Amino acid sequence: MRRLTPGRLAATLAALALLLLLVLALGLALGPSGLAPREVLDALAGDARGASADIVLGVRLPRVALAAGVGAALAVAGVVFQALLRNPLADPFVLGVSGGAALAGIAVLALGSAVGLGYGAVPPAAFAGAVGTVLLLLAVTGPAGRVSTTALLLTGVVFNAFASAAIVFLASLAGLTEGAQVFLWLIGNLSDARPALAGWVAAFVVVGLAVTVPFARALDLLALGEDSAALLGIDAARARSWLLLASSLLVGAAVSVAGLVGFVGLVVPHALRLALGPDHRLLVPASALAGAAFLVLCDTLARSLLGGRELPVGALTALAGGPFFLVLLRRSQRVGPRP
Amino acid sequence: MWRVAAGLLLVVAGPVLAAGAAPSRRVVSLNPSLTAMVIALGGREALVGVDDYSARSPGAAGLPSVGGLYNPSLEAVVALAPDLVVLVPSAEQRGFTERLEALGIPRLVLDPVSFDDVLAAIERIGAALGREREAAARVGAIRATRARVEAAARPLPPLRGVLVLQREPLFVAGRGTFVDDMLRSLRVTNLAAEQPGHWPRLAREWLLAAAPELIVDSSPDPEPALSHWSRWPSLPAVAKGAVVSLPVGVATLPGPDLDAALLTLAAATRGEAFVAALRAETP
Amino acid sequence: MTPALALRGVEVRLSGRVVLAGVDLALAPGELLLLAGRNGAGKTTLLRTAAGLLAPVRGTVELAGRPLASLGRREVARQVACVAQETALPFPFTAGQLVLLGRTPHLGLLAFESRADVAVAERALERLGLAALADRSVLELSGGERQLVHLARGLAQEAPVLLLDEPTAHLDLAHRALVLGCLRDLAAEGRALLVVSHDLFAAGFANRVALLAEGRILAAGAPLDVIRPDHLRAAFGVETEVIATPAGPVVLPQPRR
Repeated sequence: MRRLTPGRLAATLAALALLLLLVLALGLALGPSGLAPREVLDALAGDARGASADIVLGVRLPRVALAAGVGAALAVAGVVFQALLRNPLADPFVLGVSGGAALAGIAVLALGSAVGLGYGAVPPAAFAGAVGTVLLLLAVTGPAGRVSTTALLLTGVVFNAFASAAIVFLASLAGLTEGAQVFLWLIGNLSDARPALAGWVAAFVVVGLAVTVPFARALDLLALGEDSAALLGIDAARARSWLLLASSLLVGAAVSVAGLVGFVGLVVPHALRLALGPDHRLLVPASALAGAAFLVLCDTLARSLLGGRELPVGALTALAGGPFFLVLLRRSQRVGPRP
Repeated sequence: MWRVAAGLLLVVAGPVLAAGAAPSRRVVSLNPSLTAMVIALGGREALVGVDDYSARSPGAAGLPSVGGLYNPSLEAVVALAPDLVVLVPSAEQRGFTERLEALGIPRLVLDPVSFDDVLAAIERIGAALGREREAAARVGAIRATRARVEAAARPLPPLRGVLVLQREPLFVAGRGTFVDDMLRSLRVTNLAAEQPGHWPRLAREWLLAAAPELIVDSSPDPEPALSHWSRWPSLPAVAKGAVVSLPVGVATLPGPDLDAALLTLAAATRGEAFVAALRAETP
Repeated sequence: MTPALALRGVEVRLSGRVVLAGVDLALAPGELLLLAGRNGAGKTTLLRTAAGLLAPVRGTVELAGRPLASLGRREVARQVACVAQETALPFPFTAGQLVLLGRTPHLGLLAFESRADVAVAERALERLGLAALADRSVLELSGGERQLVHLARGLAQEAPVLLLDEPTAHLDLAHRALVLGCLRDLAAEGRALLVVSHDLFAAGFANRVALLAEGRILAAGAPLDVIRPDHLRAAFGVETEVIATPAGPVVLPQPRR
């Protein structure tokens, strides 16, 4: 009988970790200013002076770290949402937390200069928006234990629609220069990668995984339905509450520093499920590793493809995610699923 | 590219259109730079409406607003019964221009990108308002100042610099813009000129690799420029302390006071002494 | 002997409405009890209460003499397995993986299934003739086969009490016979089974039959004692003719003239 064994888990995660390390190295080595590998290594060792030190340590390193954190956060949140909503096409923006974060962040972007708030105020504001939305959802739908996923989904959809309308309104009020910032934020952009932000997202990823990994088996059971999960000994309500909270905070942290980077939370978990099977004990950590690698890769391309100019990373996740996913889907149809 | 073609067409057609027409008495301006030009040429009485960005400037106080820069209201414009609408052909306003044409309202479409474009725009507006003399005087003064600045800057060593319009994401003044022209007049090599585009968005890494000796920071961010750019100590500009703040719009809006803008930029890039010497020359 | 499962005076309300109005039911180990009744009579509610998903307003549920309310969730899952009508499972689990989920109550938080667990799962699949489907995705199976997989999952739990909601629905003749035979064997092995079914013919496989009507047990006892036209009239409101056969009662509803 094919199933997930500890051996297979370890081997798969090791392979994904290796892939991530490779991609991280690539992210540090590539960039529009074309540094030689020697220079990159020197800079990492602290032996370089001048522009290459600033480029490698001040631009590339925090950016790669941030991309890894954001990618991991979104992918793990995506896996959890897909399991909780019992829908393999759910994405982490569906419950409205990202809408709230976007609304708060863009409010500060568009109007902040009038009250002396610069670009640096956007991430904390966006995160506050995310937290506020989580509280609002809880207040409106009652304690997560007793509310149906349909109610949660509908509330999320409505809230997202409201947030979108408000964002359009705010964007139209924005001044000349803020318009570009708003656009980039809505598409997903990592160009303002400060080391503090990377550390902050990493902390959330660690905490989020610490909460989610123990519930991995519960996620499998919740996919059967809440009753069946309860009948197999899981406190379904408690599991859902913790998982929703952890994932919402992961989404909030990711969106507040990177904007609405799409596709990662949808494509990475779904593609992994097709490739590795639906067992969440593997899917959850694998999504973290693969999500990190995917976003680092996309961001490396985003800043290296066009010479001095830069693409927002969200444009690339959409461009890359779509076809990649279609290929995987077609292959799975032909070969048949594996456990 | 199409802007250049359109601009060329208008340069050809414009004088033909303007020459035979009587000076406009009811002008609506949909761009703050153009509004400033109209007012500077003494055409304030002829202005009957402006966009709401222009309406915030003191010179245009009291004028009715016809909507935003990106979404002016056709109805509001038509209600003012203008005999001329001046505008810059931004992507958002392209459809607007066609609708004005369909309604038979005369338009003056200007695209002041380069330094000479701005001077040409002043002259075109002067012609439309029947104030050719004032326009010629203004343009003449600007040209004179530019000549003096170039002469004074010629013996100076070239500086590698960049003018930042926004720090995050990084927008800079690129090639072919009036800012680029002004920098070149001051013998400042605009490092962003190697990249395509008038106002390109560039990667921070590019800036670090380009290693400018001078950064003119005209961004709206409240954090002080030197403290912001000091995060990358490898920048020669930071090492030399050659990071200068310019308030937004002083050197980055293509208005009628390009000579003042040029002198402000000169002070920022070549120092107060340079400008003082220039002023001392004038009788 | 202590009943494996006992409901004593159980009253259950849903949204304020009384669904079970004082149910007394006892299930001995090795007994297969068929629970029948009208749609909406409260059969599913009774099953859910016996499984611990619903708390009664009055009365108690006991598992081998211990009050269910005093047991932890995992302990309950080890004592009672409940297989109900399943909603769609959107993920491509294989049959084997799905059946392995039934071992969860016996595993620790981060534990993996042992060889013994896998053996239990494989046995459950074999019992229901599903061995060949072990590595097939459940999304590819027919509705009936999926149902059997869920049943196998319930078996894999190895709980002394088994609660089944319509286990033979959607099954063809062969599989119906297979399942009923399997249930009878389980009872013979000492498990206690409570089976809700519309399939009154299954009464032939049962040790006892109970009829639920208006939230109460109308009648409970040997199959042929309970499945009688007067009881069926009271429970279902239809006229019937009951033919006793060696295999079990055959109920012929009499259409109204």
